Amino acid sequence: MTINPIGLAVALAAFLGIWLGHVSVRAVEFHAADLRPPALAYILSGLSLLAVSLASSGFLLSGTAGILGMTLLWDALELARQQKRVARGHAPANPANPRHARLLASHPEATTLDRLARAPRGRPYSQDELAAEKGRKP
Amino acid sequence: MNWSGILLGAATLLIIGLGFVWVIRGERYLGLLWWPYVLGAGLLLALLACFVQEEWLSALLGVFGASLAWGSTELRDQAVRAELGWFPFRAEKILPPGAEIIRRWRAPRL
Repeated sequence: MTINPIGLAVALAAFLGIWLGHVSVRAVEFHAADLRPPALAYILSGLSLLAVSLASSGFLLSGTAGILGMTLLWDALELARQQKRVARGHAPANPANPRHARLLASHPEATTLDRLARAPRGRPYSQDELAAEKGRKP
Repeated sequence: MNWSGILLGAATLLIIGLGFVWVIRGERYLGLLWWPYVLGAGLLLALLACFVQEEWLSALLGVFGASLAWGSTELRDQAVRAELGWFPFRAEKILPPGAEIIRRWRAPRL
């Protein structure tokens, strides 16, 4: 029986594409004062990979480039979604970033705390516990 | 021009989108302790994809396997999101076999 490398190659492309996007979108959105240049960089690199995908004759190269290209285009959208998470306090704000400083001033839910960085405890937080957390400094 | 890669990329986005749904529902009703099974199923699918000769079927199995493996690392954060009230919280979970052993393991978070 011959081993078909396609499935494994695209599985790796998908996993690494999601991972890279997940980590880079959070880091870039945290530090960038203006989201337009990084969004443009995601779009241009995504489109370049899609061009490679279109021009490749083999399924393996076309497929991996197609997956990475599409996930990079998605990452451009995720920058905007990440900014919304920061505004809602679902992701930490960076007070040294002027864009985040404005979000902290205009959105009462925004916080510098990384509220997901905790172990699950198996029961929900009460309103009192959540209110006490809001006043806490990181 | 070879459109298969772009089609596969679009299919990947749909499969990842499906991941949002099953991670949320799966954590709510089953709980994060299923993560080793989800990770195992994902790795098994990616391995199975190596033995499928039809290229589209192999590729879709691989992407679905990768999405399951990724989702297994999201269950822990999703459990916290539900505890914080960002998603509906449900205390009664359908526990996996070996739940007491898995409880002692550190769930992955990437």
